[in-house]
Amino acid sequence: MTTTERPIVLPGDTIPPHLIPSSTTKPLRLGPGLRHVPPSDIVPVVAGQLITNHQKNSMWVEYNNNRYLPTPGDLIIAQITRSGPDFYYCLLSPYTPHATLPHLSFESATKKTRPQLLPGSLVYARVILANKHMDPEIECVSQSTGKSDGLGELKGGMVFDVSLQFARRLLMSRSREEGKVEVLELLGEEGLAFEIAVGRNGKIWVGGEDVKVVVAVGRALRETDEAGLGVEEQRRLVRRLVKGMK
Amino acid sequence: MTVTTAPEAALGVLPRADGSAKYSHAGYTVTASVNGPIEAQRRDEHPYEAHVDVIVRPAAGVGGTRERHLESILQSSLTQIVLVKNFPRSLVQIVLQVEDAPENDYVNTKLVQASLNFAIMPALFQTSVLALLSAGVPMRATATATAVAIVSRDGTKTSVVDPSPRDVEIARSVHVLAFTSHDELLLAESEGDFTVQEWNHVYETAKDVCCRPVPTKEGMEMILDDEHTNGPDLRHFLRSTMENKVASDLHWK
Repeated sequence: MTTTERPIVLPGDTIPPHLIPSSTTKPLRLGPGLRHVPPSDIVPVVAGQLITNHQKNSMWVEYNNNRYLPTPGDLIIAQITRSGPDFYYCLLSPYTPHATLPHLSFESATKKTRPQLLPGSLVYARVILANKHMDPEIECVSQSTGKSDGLGELKGGMVFDVSLQFARRLLMSRSREEGKVEVLELLGEEGLAFEIAVGRNGKIWVGGEDVKVVVAVGRALRETDEAGLGVEEQRRLVRRLVKGMK
Repeated sequence: MTVTTAPEAALGVLPRADGSAKYSHAGYTVTASVNGPIEAQRRDEHPYEAHVDVIVRPAAGVGGTRERHLESILQSSLTQIVLVKNFPRSLVQIVLQVEDAPENDYVNTKLVQASLNFAIMPALFQTSVLALLSAGVPMRATATATAVAIVSRDGTKTSVVDPSPRDVEIARSVHVLAFTSHDELLLAESEGDFTVQEWNHVYETAKDVCCRPVPTKEGMEMILDDEHTNGPDLRHFLRSTMENKVASDLHWK
């Protein structure tokens, strides 16, 4: 079998006790895919690979799916569906309850100088409230600093759907080395000018002056995700796309 | 005589659904799609739990009372393994499409009016479990199911695992049992005439098929008992299918 330090688990499996990090100073933190059954059982709830981090005393299950569940602190791309008296109602993923975005939750916004967003427009926002009993709430400005930090309306461009794990790979601090996603750097090296916003809800916004560039970047990302391309195959894909654009 | 082949499964066959699976075993092929947790209709909303909605579509026709019965049985057992308390007022929607069913060689080609057909239940159950795992819907445990028929052959009563349509027709009783990965009985439906002793024997047979322990790696893998020839090892099949899926998802690591 492969390394038993990172076993593949199914829902309801028993986790061998030697895999659970034990530190006397820090509390054990459970990430997605695990649940605590009192008094002392930790049980996986999805099928995936069990990962433990002994330094941070945390453990979680690494798995891929397509249905996003809002978690506070996540950066997401939302689409405004309508405007209410004090909130915009936005969709994070199809067929889910609307998330609320306060009208004044933008950088230096007052009642008179706030951005007027039309239904259908896209925003890059952060989830601030998400629990199973309430509809999620999002914001486009940091509560503490009052600065937007890149959040706000995304003008122009196009949104592409990817799996949640691919979005997480892109959001890694070193996506080229650890996430093994090179397409963006390679396309930039070919001289294409574009900008990207990655939402943890599996949506990637690509903006740019030239429509061909936006479409090429979006296709590169979707093919890398759907076909599961490795680094060498990504290089071939980029070469093919750039040649097709000329 | 239909030949019992090993079960086969493919995950992620429907790219637009949150999760999907295609499973075939003993002549039955079923495709399932799972969407959820998504917003539920007002009438299906439960304040503290998710609603698990199962829809069964037959291979031919639109489906009637028999399909509704299969749906209600599947719904009550799947609600017990999905963690419904995590998603109040939500819906987990499972659609099962029967694609292929084994032909009854002894019946002419006129469309036989459907009576309760328990032989298809394990395939429906297994496909929905695989599709739920593919969608990443949080579950308490996985589950496996099998059908056992008690048939009179040569004067003696024998239990047949994965009965063919002919077996079902001549059987005295047909039973469907499902067990969770914690060896708990999840589903037990029976039809026909049978005694309590016969049901106990059916229970032991089904438990042997569904709950075979995974062979431990201690040097050699030995086939210990010759009694374990009843049907395929469903748990091992489920685990290896999911391990392949997870390994291909994490190919980039």
